[in-house]
Amino acid sequence: MEVNIFIARFDFPSIRSENQEKEMEAVGGSGSSEVENDLEMKLLRDRFRLSAISIAESQVSKNGMEVSKVVVACVADLAFKYTAHRNEHLSGLLRTFSNDLKVKDRQYERKRKKEVKKNDKTTI
Amino acid sequence: MEETTFDCDLIHSIMKRIWTLRTLERENVATNDALESEVGAGSSKKNRTTSANASALKLTCELLRVFITEAVQRAVAIAEAEGDTQIEATHLESILPQLLLDF
Repeated sequence: MEVNIFIARFDFPSIRSENQEKEMEAVGGSGSSEVENDLEMKLLRDRFRLSAISIAESQVSKNGMEVSKVVVACVADLAFKYTAHRNEHLSGLLRTFSNDLKVKDRQYERKRKKEVKKNDKTTI
Repeated sequence: MEETTFDCDLIHSIMKRIWTLRTLERENVATNDALESEVGAGSSKKNRTTSANASALKLTCELLRVFITEAVQRAVAIAEAEGDTQIEATHLESILPQLLLDF
């Protein structure tokens, strides 16, 4: 059951049917710029897959075992989706952290200015 | 023997595409919100596209390499425990939940 949750979360490619893939491609392909973007993203994804497959196969050969092509392709696709998902989560965390720092910085500046004004009044 | 790893330029290209898409999505949302509230959408700073320096890219490449290596090594361990010489989908399925939790 846990596997199903994670497969759904990451939209695991081996589970998706061919028809669903075609439907998704058709919906996302309206407009020439979008089509170009999709093609470019596919090209990047294919290059990523090739690198991922070579890394996976070198690891398997180090252990003196063999691996089925389906497994290697799945690991490569999972790594690609991980790139996007983790990236989004991390960028959200970093943005929140940066905003918190800015708020604290502003509060500190206000306090500092108040203290400077107080000191000026007492010296006069 | 050098470890096979990802090309930093490739990872950078992929991430730039994803960040650009996210920025466009956020801009669309901001524009829609501004139209609804009749306030100027002066959020250009917030919608700036994210970028990464060379060190961050190297780390990302290494993280992805470790992710794949870990997935394979764990599947190998399961296959060896079952006495198999080839890694199959069932071995990968059994390590997948913990792998995704760990990463």
